Amino acid sequence: MAGLANTFGRGVMTNHFIDYKNSDVILMIGSNSAENHPQAMRWILKAKQNKGAKLIVADPRLTKSAAFADIHLRHRPGTDIALLNGMINYILQNNLYFHDYVVNYTNASYLVNPDFGFHDGVFSGAGTKDGKFTYDTKSWQYQTEEDKIKKDPTLQDPYCVFQLLKKHVSRYDSKTVSRITGVPEEIFLKACALYASTGKPDKAGNVIYAMGITQHTYGSQNVRAIAMLQLLLGNIGICGGGVNAQRGESNVQGSTDMAMLSHLIPGYLSVPSAVAHPTLKDYLSKETPESGYWANKPKFLVSMLKAFYGEQATQENDFCYAWLPKHDGKNRTHMGIFDFMAKGAVKGMFAWGQNPAVGGPTAAEERKAMEKLDWLVVVDLFETETAAFWRRPGANPKGIKTEVFFLPAAMSYEKEGTITNSGRWIQYRWKAVDPPGECKSDLWIADRLFKAVKKEYQQNGGKFPAPILQMLWDYDKPGRQEPDLDRVATEINGYNVATREPLASFALLKEDGTTACGNWIYGGYWFEDKEAKVPAAKRRVREDKAGLGLYPRWAFSWPVNRRIVYNRCSCDPAGKPWNPQAVLARWDGAKWITNDVPDFGIKDLKTGDPVPPEKSAAAPFIMLPEGQGRLFAPTVGDGPLPEHYEPVESPVQNILSKQQNNPLAVRFNGSAAKLAETGSAKYPYIATTHRLIEHYQSGAVTRNCPWLAEIAPHMFVSISPKLAQKLNIKTGDEVLVESARGQIICKASVLPVVKPLLIDGKEIEVVAMPWHWGYKALVTGPSANELTPSVGDPLTSIPEYKAFLVNIRKAK
Amino acid sequence: MSKGVLVDVTRCMGCKSCQVACKSWNDLPANVPDVPEFSDGLNSPAETNGYTYTTVAIRTVAREDDYVLRFCKRQCMHCLEPACVSACFARALQRDPQTGAVVYNQNMCVGCRYCMLACPFNIPKFQWDKTFPIIGKCQFCFDPNGKLNRIGQGLAPACVRTCPTSALQFGEREALLKEARERIKKNPAYIKHIYGEKEIGGTAWLYISDTPLEIFGFRQDLGTRPLPEYTASYLKFTPYVAVGWTILLTALYLYTKRREAVEEEKKSAQG
Amino acid sequence: MKGPVTAEKEWLPEDWRGEIGELTGKKWRFRMTPARVVLLALGAISVLITVYRLFAGHEAVSNLNDHWPWGLWIGFNVLAGVALAGGGYSTALLANVLHVRKFSVVARSALLVSLLSYLFVMFSLFLDIGKWYNFWRPFVFWGYHSVLFEVFWCISLYLVVQLLEFGEIATERVLTGWHALFKKAMPVLLIAGVMLPTLHQQSLGGLYIIAVGKLYPLWWSMLIPVFFLISSFFVGPAMVTLVSTLAGRAYRWTVPTEVLQKLIRVSGVLMLVYLGLLVYDLSSRGVWGLVFKGNLEGNMFILEVLWMLIIPLVICWTPALFNQRKWLVVFGALVGSGVVLNRMNVVFTGMAGYLGGHYFPSLMEWALTIGFIAITALVYMFVAENFRIHAREEEIAPEVAEVEKGVVA
Repeated sequence: MAGLANTFGRGVMTNHFIDYKNSDVILMIGSNSAENHPQAMRWILKAKQNKGAKLIVADPRLTKSAAFADIHLRHRPGTDIALLNGMINYILQNNLYFHDYVVNYTNASYLVNPDFGFHDGVFSGAGTKDGKFTYDTKSWQYQTEEDKIKKDPTLQDPYCVFQLLKKHVSRYDSKTVSRITGVPEEIFLKACALYASTGKPDKAGNVIYAMGITQHTYGSQNVRAIAMLQLLLGNIGICGGGVNAQRGESNVQGSTDMAMLSHLIPGYLSVPSAVAHPTLKDYLSKETPESGYWANKPKFLVSMLKAFYGEQATQENDFCYAWLPKHDGKNRTHMGIFDFMAKGAVKGMFAWGQNPAVGGPTAAEERKAMEKLDWLVVVDLFETETAAFWRRPGANPKGIKTEVFFLPAAMSYEKEGTITNSGRWIQYRWKAVDPPGECKSDLWIADRLFKAVKKEYQQNGGKFPAPILQMLWDYDKPGRQEPDLDRVATEINGYNVATREPLASFALLKEDGTTACGNWIYGGYWFEDKEAKVPAAKRRVREDKAGLGLYPRWAFSWPVNRRIVYNRCSCDPAGKPWNPQAVLARWDGAKWITNDVPDFGIKDLKTGDPVPPEKSAAAPFIMLPEGQGRLFAPTVGDGPLPEHYEPVESPVQNILSKQQNNPLAVRFNGSAAKLAETGSAKYPYIATTHRLIEHYQSGAVTRNCPWLAEIAPHMFVSISPKLAQKLNIKTGDEVLVESARGQIICKASVLPVVKPLLIDGKEIEVVAMPWHWGYKALVTGPSANELTPSVGDPLTSIPEYKAFLVNIRKAK
Repeated sequence: MSKGVLVDVTRCMGCKSCQVACKSWNDLPANVPDVPEFSDGLNSPAETNGYTYTTVAIRTVAREDDYVLRFCKRQCMHCLEPACVSACFARALQRDPQTGAVVYNQNMCVGCRYCMLACPFNIPKFQWDKTFPIIGKCQFCFDPNGKLNRIGQGLAPACVRTCPTSALQFGEREALLKEARERIKKNPAYIKHIYGEKEIGGTAWLYISDTPLEIFGFRQDLGTRPLPEYTASYLKFTPYVAVGWTILLTALYLYTKRREAVEEEKKSAQG
Repeated sequence: MKGPVTAEKEWLPEDWRGEIGELTGKKWRFRMTPARVVLLALGAISVLITVYRLFAGHEAVSNLNDHWPWGLWIGFNVLAGVALAGGGYSTALLANVLHVRKFSVVARSALLVSLLSYLFVMFSLFLDIGKWYNFWRPFVFWGYHSVLFEVFWCISLYLVVQLLEFGEIATERVLTGWHALFKKAMPVLLIAGVMLPTLHQQSLGGLYIIAVGKLYPLWWSMLIPVFFLISSFFVGPAMVTLVSTLAGRAYRWTVPTEVLQKLIRVSGVLMLVYLGLLVYDLSSRGVWGLVFKGNLEGNMFILEVLWMLIIPLVICWTPALFNQRKWLVVFGALVGSGVVLNRMNVVFTGMAGYLGGHYFPSLMEWALTIGFIAITALVYMFVAENFRIHAREEEIAPEVAEVEKGVVA
């Protein structure tokens, strides 16, 4: 998501699932929709059937999605940037980019500091601090003149972004790409030509990605490369286009929106830093850009504080900003937490619907780290591997002091609430059945937990009690066990403090304390649809006047029910749609005609006059200060342009530079940090992990569901027929898979699902494992994550699950 | 007109939701914890069984320079003239003339398993672990007086209802045939054959594909003659044989007895 | 087998008197010998397995599976069992319908073997079917379009007919008052007793007509009912030869060689017909190539034809062999086992290629089949020793020494 936010302004899927039907060419990379997002596949197949769309699947494995591919690129795990930069190079070399779009809607013409440079895999500004590699990003910034960015609309200036990009990707010629990725040159060129065909005004190219892109030590840069490719071809903000990040869970979008990330508070506001933001003024002045929609940040934060602290939050006391927890700057991401835990620095943990004992990298080490906890609370549907870590196979329960509490939770069908899908649709779901036994909804658990903590503070006191004691917590519904969902939702939506009425949009938020809003981006989702007479998230109107699959009155799509973001880019600067067949908005000479909620100003808020197209054309990416899409992103900490590095564990040297890995990759010390050396003879095969349609995540639910357990009961590893022959392995044999971090024994599946790839003249085998198994539930098996490394992306700390090294041999 | 389902292999992505929906709708138990044996990581269980009426078969298929995956749902074909119905001597298997569903009635069944032998698609399966086992087979969600009824009320079968990619389409068989012909005509990738249109006299479930269906175990040697006709052409002689043979035997009996008596008489006359 | 002859044991206490008067009042004889103890033990085991099977289900006992719905019990006990029982109706046809009196000497023995075989078949069927409490349904609900329906009805009726036929023998000793009535009914019973097996012997083959494309083409044919019928007829004399030899050694009951020769000649002629028909059938269907393909099916087919037809025919039509009684026994053994091989080929060899999977009968399946055979043999001996079975002319001589010899062998 960091890659997207830094390119377009929002870290979200730009379009939505149904919109896939409008695509002409779809590039699916690092995603296997058929297996993991089957409903998305429905629309992809519709595009194929109805308008003859083409599908390119880039995946090392013969996936279920690849079954529908017109071109299947089997590239080596972890070489997406080489592939994508190669495509960008092809497009630039052959002038296949969408020129008018690139000039008007991207920063291609911007001039960059002449000090900017790139040498042997490292960008300018490299240095070391406390023995660690750092970048000083000063030389990456735009050239300015009187606070205005210098531009060259001819794109000829050697320091302009376009030329810098062209130079940077010129090293990714098709031969080099083939040597790195293992994709035969002619297939690669075929894919380039096909995808580049979407660089025309009336063609839409759609890139779909998922965890295959993000779970790398350069995951954010992978996303950047995709985003840049789409900008060059003019595929952002249009029907059938976009960068479509398919999330790993049904409600991941919702959880990140609500800030289930260590560096964010709700609505993608960064967590205040204890060092940089001691006061509200510090925060607002440092975090609020002068231009772009984020200039409204103070309204969002103040309204959030009002929602948190109610009457206590006043102008005079900075709306209780002091009560807001501050970040200490340490790594508080998943791997960071477990690193601290292993060192004994974490006392207790809530594993709330999460099962790190199966899902975390180097899972065996994470299980061991939990032994250091004083207490562990697991909130889940079943006794997960995490809940049972103290009596896992090989552990001595007597030696583990951790006190474990298990709170049985209700499943999604056993409670009410909203789920936010990848396409940003916030859809309300009603309860189908009562939860069994003592299972409770998460809201109930959170509510009682807070009340219990508050009671403890009231009775026995404690450090810094004010934020707890003064928190506005008024969700009780008389006569009901469950908290009042309507009140919670209204608070998230935002309301007028005086009337307690839900607000129609976040545009109505104020920074004077007269509005409260738990999460500004959800503004309007709980505002009543006047016709349907239900809050927007509850409506289900199957009405699609434009015929583009927008369904504007089906639930609510944040922001402000906008189905396709950055949709100003669907028209030329004069407001004429690039593709007259797929009109999202159109300037008729006097006013805007819109099919989707415009992602730009169409009417002056004060006067109500139409805003002419020229104005919005200057800043179609409203969330970015510069207002234009970033082909070159000075804000991305590990480099303004994506560069190919090898995965931390790789069988080969980086042939592009001496810099083998991302210099800023997140690494740890300790036993979880064991890594195989480059080109290791002991671990000669590339391994990747993946999912199966039969199971969900760590399998905590699905392996407990008999019907799902029986259709995928066994953990297995996919091995190519060639490797199997060499190792004398048959399908069904028990094999031992070993990495520098552990070993597992599972079944062998010998099928051409994986095959050896020709990497720089050398044949290298790839093996693949699903990661859904553990030692609990109806069907059990070893966890693939016992093998995965604890290294991660510098921006997001997402672990590198998708490319590491293993050895395999027949067990017994 | 009878109902049918058109299975378009080119649209199936092997998500198995039909497989699970079938179990869910029909209240079928799962094979857990005694799970199906590992087959290859793709298929599970490898075949239908007494508790699994449908499976999605997943195969790797070689193409010019690489492989592709192909998926195909398998279940009872609901023949227009079903071999199993003709083979059942207890009338436990019947074809509903309205919907075309070939339905098994467990109360009537003796458990002889002749239907398993008779079915050209190896569809009826047996609950071997039960004391009083029944045959397991797709009922086309037809259960006129029971709670499992779908197509009897005009609803699509559970599997079709759940298919996310329209690989399964429910409707009048004739209309589906038309649709299938159109699809084949429009797209040269299809093999120009509708499996089930004519095979053994036709089946309610129809398949079109871009990949030879043999890989999923569909027999190509079935011919167009309904299997019950083979048996009928033999059984039709039974009454004639029975009557004719009885008359002949009686005549022979009487004749030889008479001859014997005559001989006896002769003997005693001589003696 | 050479243990000391145990003292004669009465099957029932001498002074036991029940309400059934005459029936139980008889003094029943059944000599226990070590061999019979073994047979009894085997029989007892099979009874236990039967009970276990009926209440624990199939999987607990047999290796049958979805690939192999029919196994040893249907293949051997039923299909081969019915065929081997063919001696009953073929002999009955010759001796009692066509009144070829020289065959009368074996008619009763053949009837008894046949009756017991059919009981064996019915019990086997009963425990093979899944919902055995439903066995009666086809009597009420007529699935008349099924070949199995014909088989089921014919076998059931035939069993009744045979029981009634046996009634004629039984009432010579028990419930003698009924004897005259049975005697009177005999002509009808005899004719029905030939007609019914004619129908179901062919229908057993007819069962496989619907397996078109499944059963290997060397065996699948629209003529398979005819092949089953003819072979069930010509296996009759072979079985009579075998049984009379075994029983003859046990009971000093000599069937004249001449009678056996005549019977075997009847077989021989029918086997020639069979062979001719087979040649015609293979030619008309153009599957000769499959015979010599060298695969399992082809080789098994050649073996079957040599075993069941060619070699016995050579014996039959070579005077030097035909005149020796031991060669007649060899003929009987070859044809008997050859027909079993034929049925096994239909049920297993011919279906293996299509059905796939794997099946080999479990220990309990074998034990049950063997135990049932043991029980059949025991019952035969009991009946033979208590009723007039082995000849009209001479009385049963049960006190013969070394009775056990040869019976089991």
